[in-house]
Amino acid sequence: MPKLVLKFENSVLKELPVGSKEVSIGRSPENGLVIDNPAVSHYHARVFNEEGRLMLEDFGSMNGTFVNGQRVKMVTLKPGDSVGIGKHTIVISESRELDGFATGSTGVRPAAPKINETVMLDTKERREFLQKVAAVGESSQVAPSRLKVPTLVVRKGRTNQHEYALNDKLTVVGKSGMATVKLKGWFAPKAAAQITRREDNSYYIGAADKVPAVNGQPVFHPTKLESGDVISVAGIELEFIYRD
Amino acid sequence: MTTEMEFGARSDRGCVRENNEDSYRVAPEMNLFVLSDGMGGLDAGEVASRLAVETISTHCRDAEMNASLPLTGEPIKGASAVSNRLASAIRLANEVVYRAAQESADQRGMGATIVAVRFADERMSVAHVGDSRVYRLREGELEQLTQDHSFVAEQVRRGKMTEEEASGSTMQNVLVRALGIDPSVEVDVSEELFVEGDTALLCSDGLTRELSDSQIAAVLGECEDAQEAAARLVDLAKQAGGGDNVTVIVLRHASKPVGAFARIGKWLKDSA
Repeated sequence: MPKLVLKFENSVLKELPVGSKEVSIGRSPENGLVIDNPAVSHYHARVFNEEGRLMLEDFGSMNGTFVNGQRVKMVTLKPGDSVGIGKHTIVISESRELDGFATGSTGVRPAAPKINETVMLDTKERREFLQKVAAVGESSQVAPSRLKVPTLVVRKGRTNQHEYALNDKLTVVGKSGMATVKLKGWFAPKAAAQITRREDNSYYIGAADKVPAVNGQPVFHPTKLESGDVISVAGIELEFIYRD
Repeated sequence: MTTEMEFGARSDRGCVRENNEDSYRVAPEMNLFVLSDGMGGLDAGEVASRLAVETISTHCRDAEMNASLPLTGEPIKGASAVSNRLASAIRLANEVVYRAAQESADQRGMGATIVAVRFADERMSVAHVGDSRVYRLREGELEQLTQDHSFVAEQVRRGKMTEEEASGSTMQNVLVRALGIDPSVEVDVSEELFVEGDTALLCSDGLTRELSDSQIAAVLGECEDAQEAAARLVDLAKQAGGGDNVTVIVLRHASKPVGAFARIGKWLKDSA
């Protein structure tokens, strides 16, 4: 199914698949693809499917519609074509059919559509993203007494402490010098497991020398910890909870 | 406090692009490895990525000489001094690229991704902005340690898009965070264990657009040394299409500790 990719200068603003229904383009909010710019007519053009071909029709707009630099009235579009409306560009793109990750005979993954140069998300949307990211960052700076403290409580086994408040980005369970949860015993591994704090302040447990189990299930990939989860590794059991 | 590290690196223009806008630096004496993928018209991408990697190496080097060198930006709670210095270096790099982008019409809008890793004993500090990645191979399992700052990755994280839809999207190349675009930038920092037998890989998206995780894991597992692995990954990426610049740094934890007292590391850590 073809896709319309709306761009302004170097930024991608939106992408819209074109199915059996036509897509009208213009400044008016009723259009399928709205381009809010004075150079664009209220009802500027439309893109539609006709007998398997993708067609573009200009509605007699003031500033015209251009395909690959040429002004057009009604024309067939193909993937890669660049449609100019006002100062915006709509690139016609082929959406890849996904039928599982079939590999060719060489075992190499199927050829992706030619990827354009890396671009930044349009300014307004990007600022919203950044605000959300900043909000998460700020919450980690809030006074500790207001937050619940992520804690490991030893339920079984021999360690140096009964409880550990998780303050660090990286917490190691093991015998090595850098371990927070220090295992005792001659055969304790240097680093049995690791717990990492991610940017959104969630905690993930991962394997190191051993594969830990969380609530009885072995974790082969770093797995998010929820309050109440019981971790078992190297002969000890730890409960992960958020303490007030 | 040196960790014995074997490393290999290679950067290639690929088969389609006219120039190479990726840059990288290896500074083994500081256990520091940095990689950047630049973007912008003409040669601006090259300028951006080069400024980024140079600023970071210089800042870390300056801090080695002068431990009381102020940090750029707020220190991260619970992160080691090494991690905080790395984050500081990247924030500084952002300022440098941003200023350079304002100064010249040719460079307006230029930006760059960054991935940087630094080792101290068995702790690997990982800092990044953008969609270049750091992976760790352990017991044959390849784990992506960084989360892409791309539009589609954000959509997947929020549950608005599935992974399948993401890999078919034409917006995979759209970033939400990069160096040089805004006056300040949020740097993602994480700390990971890096132990005997582990392999780390820094790469620009030119690699992961062409090769699957299992192919990458296979090459890292099969190659005798890090340089061979780096060369092979780049060659395979080019064979698979080479649609973008491709840069890789391969790091292997050496098997023997250096000297009898290597395990007794002096740990620099902020107690604040």
